[in-house]
Formats: sequence, structure tokens, C-alpha cells
Amino acid sequence: MKLGIVVKAVLGPLFAILAALLVGGLILFFIGLNPFRTYFELFKLGMGTHLGITESLKKMAPLLIISAGLIIVFKAGIWNIGGNGQFLIGAIFVGGLAPLLINGSSPYLYFFLLALMGFLGGALWIVIPAILKAKYEINEIIVTMMMDFVALNFTAFLVRGPLIAHPEYFPQTRLIPVGQRLPFIPFTRIHIGLIVGLAVVILAHYFMKKTTWGYEFRLLGENKKAAQYAGVNIKKVTIIAMLISGGFAGLAGANDILGIKGAFQAEWNPGYAFSAIPLVFLARFNGIAVIPLAYFFSFLAIGGEFMSRAANVPVFFVQVLEALMLIFFGVTEYMQKKGKLFWKS
Amino acid sequence: MSEMRETVIEMRGITKRFHGLVANDCIDFDVKRGEIHALLGENGAGKTTLMNILSGMYHADEGKVYVRGKEVTFHSPQEALRSGIGMVYQHLTLVPTLSVRENILLGTNKKFVLPKRDVEKKIKEIAREYEINVEPGVKVGQLSAGEQEKVEILKLFYRGSEILILDEPTSVLTPLEVDDFFKILKITSDAGKSIIFITHKLEEALSISDRITVLRQGRKAGEIDLQSFSQETKCEIPETIVKMMFKEAEFVEEIENIACDKPSLSDEVVLNLEDVTAKNDRGAQALKRVSFSLHRGEVLGIAGVDGNGQKELAEVIVGQRKVSSGRIFLQGCDITNMPVRFINERGVFYITDDRMKEGCVGNFSLAENAIFRSYKKEPFCKKKAILHIEAIEAHGNELIKKFSIKASNAKVMVRTLSGGNIQKLVVARELSHKPVVLVCNKPTHGLDVMTTQFIRNEIRRQSRQGISVLLISSDLDEIMQVSDRIGVLFKGELLDILPRQKATKENIGSLMLGLKNKVQA
Repeated sequence: MKLGIVVKAVLGPLFAILAALLVGGLILFFIGLNPFRTYFELFKLGMGTHLGITESLKKMAPLLIISAGLIIVFKAGIWNIGGNGQFLIGAIFVGGLAPLLINGSSPYLYFFLLALMGFLGGALWIVIPAILKAKYEINEIIVTMMMDFVALNFTAFLVRGPLIAHPEYFPQTRLIPVGQRLPFIPFTRIHIGLIVGLAVVILAHYFMKKTTWGYEFRLLGENKKAAQYAGVNIKKVTIIAMLISGGFAGLAGANDILGIKGAFQAEWNPGYAFSAIPLVFLARFNGIAVIPLAYFFSFLAIGGEFMSRAANVPVFFVQVLEALMLIFFGVTEYMQKKGKLFWKS
Repeated sequence: MSEMRETVIEMRGITKRFHGLVANDCIDFDVKRGEIHALLGENGAGKTTLMNILSGMYHADEGKVYVRGKEVTFHSPQEALRSGIGMVYQHLTLVPTLSVRENILLGTNKKFVLPKRDVEKKIKEIAREYEINVEPGVKVGQLSAGEQEKVEILKLFYRGSEILILDEPTSVLTPLEVDDFFKILKITSDAGKSIIFITHKLEEALSISDRITVLRQGRKAGEIDLQSFSQETKCEIPETIVKMMFKEAEFVEEIENIACDKPSLSDEVVLNLEDVTAKNDRGAQALKRVSFSLHRGEVLGIAGVDGNGQKELAEVIVGQRKVSSGRIFLQGCDITNMPVRFINERGVFYITDDRMKEGCVGNFSLAENAIFRSYKKEPFCKKKAILHIEAIEAHGNELIKKFSIKASNAKVMVRTLSGGNIQKLVVARELSHKPVVLVCNKPTHGLDVMTTQFIRNEIRRQSRQGISVLLISSDLDEIMQVSDRIGVLFKGELLDILPRQKATKENIGSLMLGLKNKVQA
């Protein structure tokens, strides 16, 4: 019984992935590339080499952390589309403050404070959309998205102006020495951000299921009128859910600065949130299902990047694959609802 | 005479299953030309399913459908429409922002420019023939429920339907509109069209139809040709039908005459409204200086035709709507414009009239729905933070048993339950907290006879145990059956409150319609 539900849930995304690979293969064929060889290269470089695996797992961390916040806010029926802006603000908070905190006493306190800074930065960036949504019911999709553009330009200003390390070089914040960055997981070259990511996404999953707050969030997301009827303070819950999701996006920014980049560089905009949103939808807002999908997404990104160098395939081919996956996921959702795919309703 | 009529629809051995549940079990059904055939049965008896098969919405697992002698298989409502079978659904399917004309054209028009004149001519013709008077240019949203029902029928005529299926058409109509509506049905059937009339109200079926088919738990329980009864034997019909509908079902005890067992009104006032004024969702005045007191252990019935401020009155008391002026006191404590939880924790509970969209969450389990009011309390959570899943499920199972809700266990999703069982769940949840005041808005709306009686009995019993009940309802029978005192809400004003003994259907009814605003003592 329980197994049946899991199988049912897995079939949809699996079908979407396979169909996307198939159609992607056709596209490759039409642009004159051998789809079999290209896919072989993609999988070999992304999953078959030490470097590919390490890089993919490193890239999972921000996706997982952002997804944790998105699960919570999406389940509350609120569409925070501006995760990217919150990510950048969290990152620049950490990039700007880390050099000042380096000589502090304990490394635990140092990392804790910076994680907090990242979280606060992201949360700060969603305060305006949250208040507008809660108080005046202004559509959060538009406001969070607009705040993304503001963040992009605001961070560009900071990194070229007040926070620039060396005005004569490439604009970036002061570099954090390698010794002051996130430590590696023992026996690997993967920093502990991955562990943090796995922890928060699992935490978010059980938070939604097992706590009174999670219950309130789900109640609001499923049926606002019923939430009001049950006495939920809708304004408060809306603001909290949005702050949490913004905070996690900011935490992901902290993770990238402290784990990978070491400084906030101008023109840097990895756009993880735009992968995390479809990812969370593919996982049907289930925190556990996010984990394998996050791996697959980051494998695609890394494999695609390596492959573009090796096999002359454009980097955005993997974005085409991602988009196709989403389209086919929509198709499977529709067909499963109608009961025409895999089983009868 | 009926033997001479041609049979237009014949359904043979129709069986339909949903997830292993048999909704229709080998049902035979037929309709003759120019006949009104009522399909009678409790909620969940399979009436709508059977008609959805006929109208092409569902596909039967077994059985055959013949239209005018020819076997047909419909794959969509469009195909059924082409064979002249049209259905009006229980929840109307008109677009409120479009005009009557545009609604009628919707889905049939193939021209780029709307053929305004042709349509208007045709609508007028139909209107004349069947005496359906609707202005084609008016926006549907401005029409009353009764007029909208007419537009639905007009739409089917426009599409050339010969067989009309009406799914509980009277559930949204006021008594006056029902009479008007029935006149149209009579004219329609006299003109040779056939009508299938789905209902769970016995009186309606008796007053309008030529034949009645009774369904019970997915099976055909019997068929009665009203013409075959003579004037003398006519009085036996209701009894026969009731037997068909509830053959082995246990009868719920009737409430004894309330006038006899009623103790004198307690002096203790529990809830007090003083000059309460409030607006509705559109910003119009919905309540005008409403004042009354609710005493301990009484049922105060508030009668009124729908849309006269009932919903707003209930919402104002439970804190879901702001009061624009006036005060509300609960046991001396001012609860005006306080948050829902504040009021709820002081003992006010609310059975909403909208059980699907407000009273429950379809995608939550029964157990999760049962803790709306208590998820932050022991034993359902520890330290107001971690939910105690076992305790929640045990509580759900307890409610299932205590209120005989038909659900296999507390883990089932509420959306899979029938309307009656969802309502039982809502009632069970609100009563399980020992309310001081229980506000009910149309607690038995759209429910079958058994559940209705069960809920009314429960309200009665609870009030005898000291709970004060405010029963808001547009069902006059319900008000008369359950209340100790009766008030009438008309256009947002609370007219006279009468003791039950002085109230008659006539004087309450005339207050409801605004013919009088006081009953002379």
C-alpha cells in the first residue's frame, strides 16, 4: 500500500526525465550531433568521473538549502519567485562581513554568525513583499520577482563601490582566506555545505509534517478560508513563511561564499533559485524527494558544463533539458489526473 | 395513456464503480416522451452518477444506453447534447460576468462575430413558447438563482435538447421561485419534451412528476407510476416511497414535541448583541443594528430567506468578520472584533454553512481536520510545537465512532467522504469541545433525511445539556422543529423574536418575506 504510493509518486518525474532526454536527443540529432555519444559523454563526465561527482555534490548544497525554504512557503500557498535576489543579498552580507569577523575567537561562532548573517540578509530581502502580501494582499509573485532585479543591481553597486577590495582589480569583496572557509567532509573535497543542505531539507520536510507551525502553514496553503475559520493568524503566518523561505535562500548565498567562492564577485549570479523552483515542483513539495532530484539537476548542470568543453555542445543544452523535463512533468500530472498513464483512476 | 407514449431513453443494467465502490449497481431506467420522471434517493444513492452516465460525463462499466431505440455510447457531454440530451448541474455553470445571450452562445457559436440578432430572435421564440422570461442583454451575475436556473434551461432549449436532466434544481431556489420553476417544467413537458428531475425531496417529486424511480445505495429500489393511483389510493404513495427509500434502514427517533418538554427560559444571558452593524464582502450594509440576547441552554432560531444577512451574522459573532458599529458580549466579556481564536477559546464554536470551502480541508486527513480548534492544545501537541500524531489519529477515530461517520479510519482524506459525512465531521469537531455557544448556519443544508435528523437531534440534546445554540437557517421546518425561540432576519434587520409556542409557519413565513415586521400579540 505504502509502497504503491511511493511508486506512483516516483513514476511521474521519472517519465518526465526520460521523455525530456528523448526529445532532447531528437534536438541533438537535428543540430547534427550524435545523441548517443553526447548523452554518453554527459553521463560519463557528470557521473563517471571523480571530479564530476564532487562538483555535482558541491552544487547540490545551495539547491537543497533554497528548496527547504521553498517547500515551506509553497506549501503555505505563497509563491516566492525571488529566491535569486534573496540568495544574492545573503551572499553579499556574508561576503562583506566575513573579512571583518575573521580574527574572532572560535571558528564555530564565526561560521554561526555568518550563517545567521546570510539568513538575515535573505529574510530582509523578502520583508517588503511579505508585508505587502500580508497587509494589503498584493501579489507576492510580482513583488518578489521585482525585488530580484533590485537585488541584482544593488549588489552590483555594493561590489563595485563600498565593498570593493581593490579598486584597480576586478571588482569583488575582500577574499576570505582558504583556511577560513567551510571545512571539507572528511575524506572528500566536498565542503560541509552539503551536510547542511541535506539537514535543512529533511528538517523542513518534518517541520511541515510534525509541527503545529507546519500544520498552520499547510492549512493556509490548502484553504485560506478554512485557516481563518480555524483561528489561524493569517497575516502572521504569511509573514513567517515568507521570512523563512527568504532566509534559507540567503543561507544558500552564505554557503556559496564560504564554501566555494570566497568572495562576492561582480557579475556573479548563479541563478540557483530558478532551478530550485522547478525542482521543488517536480518533487511535489516533498522534502525527501527533493534530494535525488537536486542531485540530478546539479549533475545535469555540471555534466553539461564539462560536456560543452569536451564535445562542442552548447552549455544551455542542459537548460533545454530542464525545461523539457518541466513540460513533460506537466503532461504527466495532467495524464495522471485523468488516469490515462500507468494506472486507471 | 402513458403506455402510448414513445420511450425516448432506455438504460439497461447500468453499473458504475469508483475505486471499488459500486455507485450504480445494475440499474434499469427509462424515460418517455413528454414525461417528468423524478429520480429520488438519499445523498449518495447514485442519482447523479446515473445521470452523468446518460449525459456523457462518465462512462458506464457495464450496461447499455438506448436513445430512441438506438444503442449509443457517449464519450463526452457534447455527444450527448447532439443526441438531444442536456443536463443542468447542481452547481450552476454560467459565467456571471457574461450576459445571458453570451452564456447561451458559449460553446455553440462558430462565427467570428457574435450573431446577436439571430440569437435574440431565437431566445424570444423559446421564451414565448415556454414562458421563460429573461432579458438576453443582462449580465448573469445580476440575476437571482431562480433566474439563472431559467437561463440554464433556456441554454439547453437553444441547443435543441429534447431530454433535460435537472440535478437538484430547487436546492438554490426560494419557495416562491420553486413554484414558478415548476410551472415552466409543466409547460415544457406538455410541449413534448422529457424531463428527468433529480431530487431528494419527496414533496417535490410528488408534486411535479409523472413517474418516480427510487434509488437506494446504488440500486433501484422501485418505480412508481403516479398515474396508476386513483384519487383514493393516492395517500398511500408517500408511505410506499419512504419504505422504498429506507427499507431496512433504522429510523432515527423523531424529536418529540418541543413545546411540551421545554423548561422555562433560563435567566442567564450567555451572548448579547447590541446594535450590531456590519458590511458584506461587497461593502454593502448586511446587518442593521441587530440586537438580541441568547440565554443559557436555549436554541434561538434565526429564520430568513438566504442572503438577508445570515452569513454575516454568524461571522460577526465568531470573529471572522469585523463589526462596523455595535458591541458583542460573551458572558459579560466584550468580544467585539476580537480574533477568531480569542473568541473560540472562550467557548464559541461555529458550524459553517460552507463545509467544503470553509469547514474542512479536502486534502487533509479526517484526523487532521478534526483538530482545527485544538492543534495547539494537549494532548495533540507537546509544548505547543510538535504534533502528537497518534493522539490526533486516536481522536479522529473516536469521532468516527461517536458520530457514526462513514469512514474506514481517521487517515482517509476528507475529500473522499460524502457531503453528509463531512458535515457530521464538522459537527462532531465543534461539539467535541463542549461549547458555551454554538453558532450553526444551515447545519443540514443539502443533507439526506437520516443525517439531517441526526444533526437536529444532536443540536437539541446539546442544548438540553446547557449549551446555547444560535440556529440560523432558511429551512422553516428545521427552525420550527428545533428552536425554543424564533427570530427573523430580513434585509439585515432582526424582526420580532417569538417564543416557539406563538410561532406558526404562517406568521414566521410572512415575516421572512417582509410582508409584516411584527407579529401582533
